[in-house]
Amino acid sequence: MLRFLGHRLSSALLTLAIAAVAVFLVARMIPGDPVMIMLGEATGGDPAAVARMRNELGLDRSLFVQFSNWAMRLLQGDFGVSIRSGEPVLDDLLLRIPRSLELIAGGLLVAVLLGLPLGILSARNRGRLSGAISSIVSVIGFSAPVFVSGVILVVVFGVWLQVLPSSGYVPFADDPLLHLSCLVLPSLAIGLNFMGVVARVTRASLIDTMDNDYVALARAKGLSRGRAMIRHALPNAMVPVIAIIGIRAGNLLGGTVIVEALFDWPGLSSLLVSASFSRDYPVIQGSLIAIFAIFILISLLIDLAQSFFDPRVRATA
Amino acid sequence: MTTTFLSTFLRELGSRRNLAASAALLFLLVVAVLSAAAPLLPIQDPLAIDTLNILSGPSQAHWLGTDELGRDILSRIIHGGRISLGVALSAVLLAGVLGTLLGVLIGFCGPRVEAVAMRLIDVFVSLPEIFVALIALALLGGGLGTLIGTIGLIYCPQFARVVYNMTRSIRAREHVLAARSLGAGRLWLIRHEALPNLYSIIAVQASVTFSFALLMEAGLSFLGLGVQPPTPSWGQMVGILKNYIYINPWSAVFPGLALFFVVLAVNLVGDLLQDVLNPELRK
Repeated sequence: MLRFLGHRLSSALLTLAIAAVAVFLVARMIPGDPVMIMLGEATGGDPAAVARMRNELGLDRSLFVQFSNWAMRLLQGDFGVSIRSGEPVLDDLLLRIPRSLELIAGGLLVAVLLGLPLGILSARNRGRLSGAISSIVSVIGFSAPVFVSGVILVVVFGVWLQVLPSSGYVPFADDPLLHLSCLVLPSLAIGLNFMGVVARVTRASLIDTMDNDYVALARAKGLSRGRAMIRHALPNAMVPVIAIIGIRAGNLLGGTVIVEALFDWPGLSSLLVSASFSRDYPVIQGSLIAIFAIFILISLLIDLAQSFFDPRVRATA
Repeated sequence: MTTTFLSTFLRELGSRRNLAASAALLFLLVVAVLSAAAPLLPIQDPLAIDTLNILSGPSQAHWLGTDELGRDILSRIIHGGRISLGVALSAVLLAGVLGTLLGVLIGFCGPRVEAVAMRLIDVFVSLPEIFVALIALALLGGGLGTLIGTIGLIYCPQFARVVYNMTRSIRAREHVLAARSLGAGRLWLIRHEALPNLYSIIAVQASVTFSFALLMEAGLSFLGLGVQPPTPSWGQMVGILKNYIYINPWSAVFPGLALFFVVLAVNLVGDLLQDVLNPELRK
């Protein structure tokens, strides 16, 4: 187990390093000069001021020097200073990472709590009306774009029923109850879309697993079909379900881009979007690295969960 | 195989248990005709501003109400569909042509090129697409051409991977071996043995990519990075009208529903294509 963990951890770190190089290069390939944007129309015309600023920011040195300086500072936890606000990027990142993680966790919770029973139901009642209905619900969930279900949720719960706040964010320390109620709709918006995926894979995998001899044996022992399905087939059917969560982790993370914009949730993705509009390089780089780190962390956790449900995974590492 | 794939698909479409898929296909055809004929239809000008009717609800004059500038929402949804579907279709064409070419070529290039190219493609496929698109568009600037190019290139590696996997299995078949032993060159093999057997999998992958591309365009336009106003697109309409949700909640819901129904229909037709391609999956 320890060797498996070490192997996975080192490959995760390698991926993160590759991502860092890519992030650095992408930010440099972009047209548009950040110095000109910072100085604005007025002073941007003065070549001396431009050169001075370039020197201050280290933009006049070679790409390789720039990268190694940047990477060294990164390792020391220095993500640079926002061109726009002048604040350290790291402070903003540390503030926002937990908020985005919260959204992802909430979405995943919704997806699993609703998707798993839905998948089991449609596998169990295959060929019957209730099975067909659960399949249709999962296709609908799968097809509804995050912002469409999000807008409908806001209209129903925020505008008509007025039971949940339709947007905004309140720190947990200020008002725990309001904080959680702000989290409900965004989590549902991310989760409902993902629920369809989880339900579909659960159904297919469960139907597949039910064909195994050990399930037939459990049935021969006298267990009911439902009991054999839940106790004997379900644990083994979980492996592809966990795998799909890992494969689609990018979608889950991508969903936060839309949801944070829709619900005015001040997380990582909204930071990235606003920084992209203003070409704030240090913030773009910092938030991209943080997003990649979360992505890699999720993949790592999924790998570990998979090895828990299916020990054979460890042997192949 | 191409003809049997098509005829099986048409036969399945007629059968009663695939009622949902045939209804979905019919719906898509209607949407396609409406979008293509949008400028000819007797509907209001999607850009005509009516300052006396701002954010009004459904009425006789405006069936689905009006937006923040008093423009007719129904007309904007139909014209927006033209843009949304057009962008998605062009992106799929780009991804499909480029991806197929890449996939087939990699499949016939020998093990060394294969290993390197597929590694690269795997890296691209594992990237969260929306972040790549977001950065590319924010920094390259909008414009329909950039939008189509970005979305098309993003889904190209997925396409290439699917086509490559199929090419590899075709390459190992007896009829290909027979042709090779008769002295057929790579290009001849690609043209006469590989491509004809790839059409069905290309059709399935295109339907999957089409719904992804629609969603990607919508998401980017929703964020303000895709289609730029005053040209309407479904995602952009939701993105702008969500700000007026307390004044007129319907206005943001309608374009969202249009997108949802089209994506649902594409997925239902895509599911049937998939079933026809892999009958053993249907249990």
